[in-house]
Amino acid sequence: MQTYIDTQAYQSQLARFCRTGQWEPIPGVHVQHVQQYRRLVYNVIDDMLLNAYPLVYACIEQEEWNELVQLFFSEHNCQSPQVWYMPKEFYLFLHKRQHPLLQKYPQLLNVMEYEWAEIALFMMEDIAVTYTTFGDVLFSKLILNPEHCLLHLTYPVHQKKVNTIHAEDKSCFYVIGHRNREGAVLFTDLSPALVRMIEYLAMQPLSVMQLIQQLENEYAMQLTEKDKNAVLHFFEVALQKQLLLGFSVSSEKKVFE
Amino acid sequence: MVGIGYRKDFAADFAESNDMQPSFIEVAPENWIGVGGYWKKQFQKALEQYPLFTHGLSLSIGSPDPLDFVFLKQVKQFLRQTNAVLYSEHLSYAKCNNAHLYDLLPIPFTEAAIHHVANNIKQVQDFLEERIAIEIVSYYTPVAPELSEIDFINAILQEADCDLLLDVNNVYVNSFNHQYNAKKFIEQLPMHKVKYIHMAGHEKVADDLIIDTHGEAIIDPVYDLFAFTIQQLNRDVPVLLERDFNIPELIQLQGEINRLRDIKQQILQPASYANIY
Ligand SMILES: [Fe+2]
Repeated sequence: MQTYIDTQAYQSQLARFCRTGQWEPIPGVHVQHVQQYRRLVYNVIDDMLLNAYPLVYACIEQEEWNELVQLFFSEHNCQSPQVWYMPKEFYLFLHKRQHPLLQKYPQLLNVMEYEWAEIALFMMEDIAVTYTTFGDVLFSKLILNPEHCLLHLTYPVHQKKVNTIHAEDKSCFYVIGHRNREGAVLFTDLSPALVRMIEYLAMQPLSVMQLIQQLENEYAMQLTEKDKNAVLHFFEVALQKQLLLGFSVSSEKKVFE
Repeated sequence: MVGIGYRKDFAADFAESNDMQPSFIEVAPENWIGVGGYWKKQFQKALEQYPLFTHGLSLSIGSPDPLDFVFLKQVKQFLRQTNAVLYSEHLSYAKCNNAHLYDLLPIPFTEAAIHHVANNIKQVQDFLEERIAIEIVSYYTPVAPELSEIDFINAILQEADCDLLLDVNNVYVNSFNHQYNAKKFIEQLPMHKVKYIHMAGHEKVADDLIIDTHGEAIIDPVYDLFAFTIQQLNRDVPVLLERDFNIPELIQLQGEINRLRDIKQQILQPASYANIY
């Protein structure tokens, strides 16, 4: 009779085979049919990653993709019980590894970051916020949509076809992604000043007037009228796009949660 | 009652048309825990209309790795929040060597595994404060077996004191792949423990191998085995139609649901059925 240690060792061997394709004989196993497990398990991982990262896939050669998937699956221990979350582990794994393909395709990490941000925002749990739709953009305190994420990209992966991006495209791109009420994910370009103002808003509700003042104080500078109008315009549009949900509740009647 | 596995691929069609009218829906908690936005809205709409059965994927009850109680706590919350009728899992393992594989691997049919798996099931039932139903999975090769499949399953059901999810297609697939008589296999199962039935299609990939794909319509021999199972049960048990890939028009799925309902009705209420016609 087998001890549990033996049983466990056979289970472990089978799981290793599925991940690496390297076969160590197990008693009683049908050697042809066991290949199906390797195929099925690999396909689950490959499909999930393909669905999550179509732009990464478009960026690199098929061979390179296969190598990445194989490397990830054989060497990384997937920790999430939720398969839809596994692609995040792929991104973190390649980042931590500093995989050579990240040198060959310098935009790759940004592509992954951008693609994962879209999934994460689309899937994330709802966050309840109290706000009202009655207010004035310039003077009422604005409520930022908490279902957002800020990205700092080195390559314009959100603007250009990813396989046409080259080293000379390198620059600084600030992007904010958010999820609107219909559940769609939208990305918006930001200037450094707007990033800072979004960070202020993430801390507490402030009006556009207050945001401008805080920025001017922090950087000891004065915005021109033109700049101020541009800021106001940005926040008006942000309100329409639901990057801003509305206004802080004070005495107003209509409240959404 | 005949239900359908609720899939994102047809969620929108399902919500907008009346083409498919199951008695309940089934989901894997893993696919919905912590999910908000568009999918949560769709799922909530479905929950308002249908009772929910659940069928886990990642608990890995047959794993050598310890049970993940952090995850199990999330499952418990999900079951409470959704008012789930039942929680079921697979008699297999999906995590090993501290890594999820996101698929169902076969447990060696050994005495030692029986005690380990039964103990895991008991722990899960204690933690969830409810009985769970365990599904016999399809498998493509035995792994270091000491016992027959039927003895292995029956020993676990007895020692764990849990319910059985009888996937009739899986029994058909296994009987083909491992060359045994499916009806004899079903006759040897403890019918009083059957809480839930699964039905699905499969794909024959070689002369000696069927893969349980859930990507095709149910075939006639599996309907026959279903009829046999209902005769053996001689009572009404919820039945689920599983379709994960290659999803056809909903009206076609409704056709399969109807056929399952009819078979059940004919066997369980022959007299009243005769009266209708
Ligand atoms: Fe099943």
